[in-house]
Amino acid sequence: MKLAAPFAARVTYPQLRALCACLGLALAAQVTSLPLWLLAVILAAVAIRLSIAARGYAVPSLTIRTVIAVVSIVALFLQLRTFNGLAAGSALLSLVAGLKLFETQSRRDLYVVALIIYFLCLAQLLRSESFWLLAYLLGVSWLTTAALLRLNDTTPPIDWRRSLRYAGRLSAQAVPLTLVLWLFFPRFDSPLWRTPSDGHGAETGLSDSMSPGDITDLALSDDVAFRVHFNGPAPPAAERYWRGPVLHDFDGSTWRRSPVAHGRAPGLTPVGVAYRYVISLEPDQHNWLFALDWPDRWNAPEAYLTGDYMLVRPALISHALDVSVTSHTHVETGEPLSEAMRRRDTRLPAQRNPRTLQLALELHAAHPRDLDYIGAVLDMFRKQQFFYTLEPPPLGPNSVDEFLFDTRRGFCGHYASAFAALMRAAAIPTRVVTGYYGGTYNRFADYWIVRQSDAHAWDEVWIEGRGWLRVDPTSAVAPSRVQAGLEGSLMAGSPIAAAWHGPLSFLSDARLQLDALRQLWRRRILDFNVRSQNQLLTALGIPQPDGQKIAMVMAGGLALAFAWLTWQIRREQRQRPKDAVVRAYDRLCRKLAAAGIARRPYEGAEAFAGRVVAERPELGPQVTELCRRYSRLRYGSSRRASVERWFVARVRAFRPGRAPR
Amino acid sequence: MSGEGAARLSLRDRAVARIRAWSARRHGEDTLPVKIERRRIYIVPTRFGLMLASLLVAMLIAGLNYNSNLGLAFAFFMVSTVLVAMHHCHRNLLGLSVDAQLEVDAFAGADAAFYFMLRNESAVDRRNIEVCLLDPTDSRPPGARASCSIAIGSYQELMLAVPVAHRGVSRWSQFELRTTYPFGWFRAWTYVHASLTAFVAPLPRGHRPLPAAPAAAGESMRSESSGEEDFAGLRSYAPGIPLKHMAWKSLARGGEAAVRIYSDLGNRPEWLEWSALDGLDTETRLSQLCRWISQCESGQPRPYGLRVPGAEIVPGRGPAHRSRCLRALACHGSAPP
Repeated sequence: MKLAAPFAARVTYPQLRALCACLGLALAAQVTSLPLWLLAVILAAVAIRLSIAARGYAVPSLTIRTVIAVVSIVALFLQLRTFNGLAAGSALLSLVAGLKLFETQSRRDLYVVALIIYFLCLAQLLRSESFWLLAYLLGVSWLTTAALLRLNDTTPPIDWRRSLRYAGRLSAQAVPLTLVLWLFFPRFDSPLWRTPSDGHGAETGLSDSMSPGDITDLALSDDVAFRVHFNGPAPPAAERYWRGPVLHDFDGSTWRRSPVAHGRAPGLTPVGVAYRYVISLEPDQHNWLFALDWPDRWNAPEAYLTGDYMLVRPALISHALDVSVTSHTHVETGEPLSEAMRRRDTRLPAQRNPRTLQLALELHAAHPRDLDYIGAVLDMFRKQQFFYTLEPPPLGPNSVDEFLFDTRRGFCGHYASAFAALMRAAAIPTRVVTGYYGGTYNRFADYWIVRQSDAHAWDEVWIEGRGWLRVDPTSAVAPSRVQAGLEGSLMAGSPIAAAWHGPLSFLSDARLQLDALRQLWRRRILDFNVRSQNQLLTALGIPQPDGQKIAMVMAGGLALAFAWLTWQIRREQRQRPKDAVVRAYDRLCRKLAAAGIARRPYEGAEAFAGRVVAERPELGPQVTELCRRYSRLRYGSSRRASVERWFVARVRAFRPGRAPR
Repeated sequence: MSGEGAARLSLRDRAVARIRAWSARRHGEDTLPVKIERRRIYIVPTRFGLMLASLLVAMLIAGLNYNSNLGLAFAFFMVSTVLVAMHHCHRNLLGLSVDAQLEVDAFAGADAAFYFMLRNESAVDRRNIEVCLLDPTDSRPPGARASCSIAIGSYQELMLAVPVAHRGVSRWSQFELRTTYPFGWFRAWTYVHASLTAFVAPLPRGHRPLPAAPAAAGESMRSESSGEEDFAGLRSYAPGIPLKHMAWKSLARGGEAAVRIYSDLGNRPEWLEWSALDGLDTETRLSQLCRWISQCESGQPRPYGLRVPGAEIVPGRGPAHRSRCLRALACHGSAPP
């Protein structure tokens, strides 16, 4: 058969080595997601096979190869319990590639390995959002393609540099087609079928419980929690509270979300301006969305408001997600608090924090009105020796007692927790709200970055007749935390902060610009979808885009890309690399023609020089010299690069001037 | 692939034979040299290409299903790379000039050596071009194939050794140029419809002496009447030639050992006759004649002629004459070319 011979041809050591290197590079990108022993098996197989090829030993017998394959596949299954799903599938494919290399004898085996490398590259990109990973894997596929060229092109074997250059040029020619396909290929809103879940990624950000020390860990993290773009003006700093988990159940030291849902959210009457914004959430593996207090309308499918105004959705956020929300910073509650809610939000553990209960009774007796009592508690934080610190001393089971009476050093969580305990002890319904406060404005791209270090905790108390009222006890202790953000409150006096805002401010600018690029990448590339396609078509001047029009535009784009490709390939084929010396001589002739002496087609260089001497004696010596050099360079036996350069430079500098009248 | 059942094999072969016949009708007989144009290049994916295509479909579905724009970008990049590679594969043949030696001599049981000349006048290298011979009656390509690369603006000569088993005239009505460059994903090929003929002479064999008596030759050499006017030139010395014919002067000047030839010595032809070999069967006779031709060509400096039934080659010497004689032997019993 026609294909039998090249397909079964034996492979050489350099061919094998090249493909092994490509497999190694493809595996390197997913080194963290593969079991270590699997990597060891693959590496061992590759190393053994390479040394066999280098030394010329025989390949191990079929029995040995089968035993190794069966044992490692069974072991992999025992570890993963499934071969379904992306991670497990990638692990299995990697193993198959390693085993295939082990038994590689013919070109066909290496072809299979190359295909596996391509698919491994894709598998890693399916779950990734990184620009760098895409660039790296495109590089790996380029190297693999070059290795394939070396596998196929053997008359005589092509060297590395040329194969890389060729594969690179071919890849570059593929770019326009790729762009057209990527932009206009029909996308689906929902997946064709449910993708098997690979388990959760690590949870990040706020959790659904809060112990007093928890938020300090977050406060030291620089990771981005989410980004917000306001359609219109941003709310003033004092109102940028991003609502996260609302906590009700207190066991003396830890606050938790209530496991039972307590009815629907009481209706809110907005007062004042509405803020419309798009919030770009990071995949944090939680099911709540952070929205500005208080969310009113949103476009996330299936998302709903809980009874305590948390915006949640049924599925975890495992992909970057953009949601448009409208919020009102001022609202009024018309409805009264239900009895169940009141009971839930005044409950305190009986045996804990006795000193706090005592203090609450005394204070409430002195200030019987709820609002006065709140003021008194805040005054206490403000006037007594309470400190705001990121390194609070550890607390025991009576955490509020210890904090209020012994340590008096804490972070926002400590104050929110202590305040809520004091309120509940006076039978005022109170809940703890965790979330983020503030954010950094990125002036390079008009959006706000909210980082984990902006994590915050505050309280909401129920005041009869006014509804839920936000109280931020931290602001009583460290007003700067609330006004200037964390950096401002903690590092105002430190030299690092001074440098960051002073001479090194370009660094923070650069950081913001980088983040703006990241956001651009995310909005333009990662979130590209049917809506973006429609917008693109509208921008191209095609009204009311639909699937059919997109398909037509794609067909047109493909036709253009193919036309470009054909032209490019023909041009490459026709282009004759012209000698630098010939080009320089052509240039000399053009200059002389412009000066009035055109070389005749039949005239050789020396004859032409002779005519120049006759017609323009003042140019004679120069032109004679150049023409003689040209003849010698072009027809002489030896050519030196330095003489060539000299000739080209002299021609460039040559100025004949107009003929004298 | 050979073990995959005769039915599939013959199906594929029949398809290939049809394409060839269709191509022959479409393009007619070519006059060499042929410049390979766009419309005579055919291209199909190889098995590896088909494997890759199914992988690409899988990639595309995965990218769409995971709704991953990066995955899709990679999948589309691979699709585009394959499409560009297809153009490059096609271009590898496009514009190549092919010339071939249409008629060659060979001996039965040995190889017929066909020479092809591939000229690349473009500004890109042509790599991995394979030439193979096609037999119209048998769609399976013969074992004869050879490949080469042709650098920018240069040419390459390629020798194709086709084993020929039997005496006679072997003819191939077309040959094929093919390439799987650059990555082995596609195979582009073209047919050149030009008849290649191998005149397969019998293997030289047999122990009968040459018919003419050596004594007669010796006598003519010894004739003393020959003067300067009979001197016809020099030829290199071979053992058995009398020493008095040695050109001593030429040897003394440092030249090679040579003998003087005289015109009457060179003019007496040797006739190699079919009829001189009565009692042998046809092939043995032809083999003996073939051996005699070789002996005459390398032996004494005398012209020789050949007489076989249906053909007579007038006496002569040299490669062209030898080729004429060998072709007469090859064509014996079949219609002349």
